[in-house]
Amino acid sequence: MKQTHNITLKIHRYDPEMNRSWVQAYQLEAGRILRFVDVFRKINEEQDPTLAWNSSCEHGQCGTCSVQVNGKPMLACELLVENAVDYFKTATFEIEPLPVAPVVRDLVINFDKAYERVNLVKPYIIHPAPVPDAGQPYAITSNDQDEFLNATRCINCFCCASACISSHKGFLGPNAMLASIVRMMDPREAEKEERENILYSDKGVYRCHSSRACSFVCPKEIDVAHFIALAKEGRFKPES
Amino acid sequence: MKKTLKTASTIRCDVLIIGAGGAGLRCAAEILEKKPGTSVIALTKVPHPQKSHTAAAQGGLAAVDPKDPADKYLYHMFDTWKGSDCMADQNVVRKISEASWEQIIWLENRGMHLSRDNLGRLGKRTFGGHTVNFGEDSAFRAVFEADRTGKGIMDTCWGETMKRGITFMNQTVATELLFKDNQCVGCMVFNLKDGEFVKIISKATVFSSGGSGQVFKVTTNCRQNTGDGLALVLQAGLAVMDPEAVQFHPTGIVGPGILASETLRSVGGILRNKALEPFMEKYAPKMKELAPRDLVARAIETEVREGRGILNPDHQIEHVWIDLRHLPDNIHDEQIPEVSGFFKKYINLDPKTDLCPVRPSNHYHMGGIPTNEFGEVQTADQEIVPGLYAVGECAAASFHGFNRLGTNSILELITMGKFAGERVLAYISDSSRKFPEAKATVTESKISGYLDADGRDNLVKIREALRSTMTEKVGVFRTEAGISEAIEKIRELKARAERTGLSEKSFTMNQELVTRWELDNLLVVSMVIAEGALNRKESRGAHCREDFPERLDAFNGHTLISMPEFGKTKLGSRAVDMSVFEAREEHYEQFGMIARKY
Repeated sequence: MKQTHNITLKIHRYDPEMNRSWVQAYQLEAGRILRFVDVFRKINEEQDPTLAWNSSCEHGQCGTCSVQVNGKPMLACELLVENAVDYFKTATFEIEPLPVAPVVRDLVINFDKAYERVNLVKPYIIHPAPVPDAGQPYAITSNDQDEFLNATRCINCFCCASACISSHKGFLGPNAMLASIVRMMDPREAEKEERENILYSDKGVYRCHSSRACSFVCPKEIDVAHFIALAKEGRFKPES
Repeated sequence: MKKTLKTASTIRCDVLIIGAGGAGLRCAAEILEKKPGTSVIALTKVPHPQKSHTAAAQGGLAAVDPKDPADKYLYHMFDTWKGSDCMADQNVVRKISEASWEQIIWLENRGMHLSRDNLGRLGKRTFGGHTVNFGEDSAFRAVFEADRTGKGIMDTCWGETMKRGITFMNQTVATELLFKDNQCVGCMVFNLKDGEFVKIISKATVFSSGGSGQVFKVTTNCRQNTGDGLALVLQAGLAVMDPEAVQFHPTGIVGPGILASETLRSVGGILRNKALEPFMEKYAPKMKELAPRDLVARAIETEVREGRGILNPDHQIEHVWIDLRHLPDNIHDEQIPEVSGFFKKYINLDPKTDLCPVRPSNHYHMGGIPTNEFGEVQTADQEIVPGLYAVGECAAASFHGFNRLGTNSILELITMGKFAGERVLAYISDSSRKFPEAKATVTESKISGYLDADGRDNLVKIREALRSTMTEKVGVFRTEAGISEAIEKIRELKARAERTGLSEKSFTMNQELVTRWELDNLLVVSMVIAEGALNRKESRGAHCREDFPERLDAFNGHTLISMPEFGKTKLGSRAVDMSVFEAREEHYEQFGMIARKY
């Protein structure tokens, strides 16, 4: 088994002070199970302390280190060097920031801007349904909850929004739709009308072209397109 | 390009929250629910509150359901007290335990997706150290949201605070607390995204800045947990409490540091060294792999120290193996699928056919900013600092003493967050109180110092040298000689850091500048951890002194430590609250200085 790989990272860089963009190639010998976040750190340590990149938990729970690798949005903390070589059939990787928000510097995007679309769907219970017994949990069975539980696993890494072919044309994006659909399906939410207005607005689910790119790239393996399809077929509209 | 350092603007608010994780946002939610319209600003170093370290918590939330016929608050209190090795404050333990179920309901009623059974009841799990009837039997006490309980808390608290009009300042760091006549009146903030310095004047300031795991080489903590809160408090001349109380989990996965859960050992996993010897039988002939956490961690460290570890070439970390190859497929597939998944995902190994590398991983800082049971920060003389509060991992009330039980950490976030919120509300609503302003005195000279240095060195190399030193000398094992060597090394690294110039001098998202600032914080926190460990000449909970292997009554008290000048520490102590014992009610004898034996 090959112990190290001689890889080249072509990183899309941006300097906000000079308003300058360029692609910088870093060549390095990387251990087979280094992850791309480790590779970025290695670049900071050995070649270039100025390269800026984002991460937080570094084990797939927070969705901060998402970047595009050879065009595919993915979490840098989950991509091992040898798997990348194997998957992309090359040792050269083009690394770009996600296209869902303005770049602050290098691979760091302005998450505030990306999240604006999630905030618009109100990712919380707008009007809670009355609790059957005060001081008690709502009586929701595991079967009821299982219907939408997968949608609650979203970590807002914006990989789906990056891959979505409709995202840049007024669509709020797959992850924002998921946040909306979760509350549509959650019996604790009483405010269904406002939710409907958001979900079926001109920025809502009908913008989706059903390419299923969201489900394909989701690092949490959520079938995002399934939930959007439920919304499109009118599952959450009151019977009329 | 170098810019001049000036404050871009001054912002005023009622409440400033430093750190938007579970504790900070639970506190903010309490304030905004009880007094709508309060202006609350929350700073976070990460790009968004959802990216906080709270979201990485997996297991569960300990809480006694008052309707549970088998469980009682008193049992949870006993387990916490025993687990803490008699260093938790009993007033805090009682207050948190008694409030726990109400806080679970608070979360559930606001949309947290807790796991349930098919009758709609909340599911409960057992966890190590949680018992009924004072150790008699395992307690089913932890509610959970699958393997993402922390994320559930985070999503709920983020949503609730957003709904109620909080202002988030994401990707910002607090660089200096502001004081007027010992009253905290706000802080200086560096906004990483636009490279601006902002002054925030607040009536009340709440610290909830998280842990310090990056002090060590292998850690379960997120990249941002560099002990900034502790460093800021020390910079302000205040004390920290029990910094030497640091928890290590015996089996972290080499590389990402994440936990390979105890389950691996309970289903029959065998720890092996370089020669593939099953070494646990040397250290715990009867219990072997099932010995308690701290014993297993020390056994692994001994193997590594005596040259029987294996070096991982990619991560440059020495480790031992956990061997799961002999286990039948159904155990792999049904009992340990998540952990097996971690090995596959992060190191490309299949536990069915491969040996898997593990090493004790830093997990949690029990020590922190000293507070009372309401989250009000105390000085070294145990007087309350007006306007300053601390909750969550950066704080020490102390609920965990010298060893934290699993599922007690995220419980602390939501309970102490709420208690501090109540106190903050009373404080800012007090019409007799004045809320003055103050000037910053440290930030400018500190940041200018970073920008003016021009020595050729490498910040990441200095940081990694620090983390290695702390892991080797002030980690699982500690001795006077080792800690003293570490203190010398920390001084040397501090001097190197001060000389190191930056290649990028601008302010906007200058990661190198942040790394430089974090390195200073790591150095400060490392120094107080080492000094605390040197002073505590006994072994207690997670603090293991090989040269003083027993717990000693002479050390039945919290360490208080301040550092007026780098490397010059002032030590003090705070008595442990034993109010449950002293009340002499039924079972009070369980709350005396009992042995921590399982």
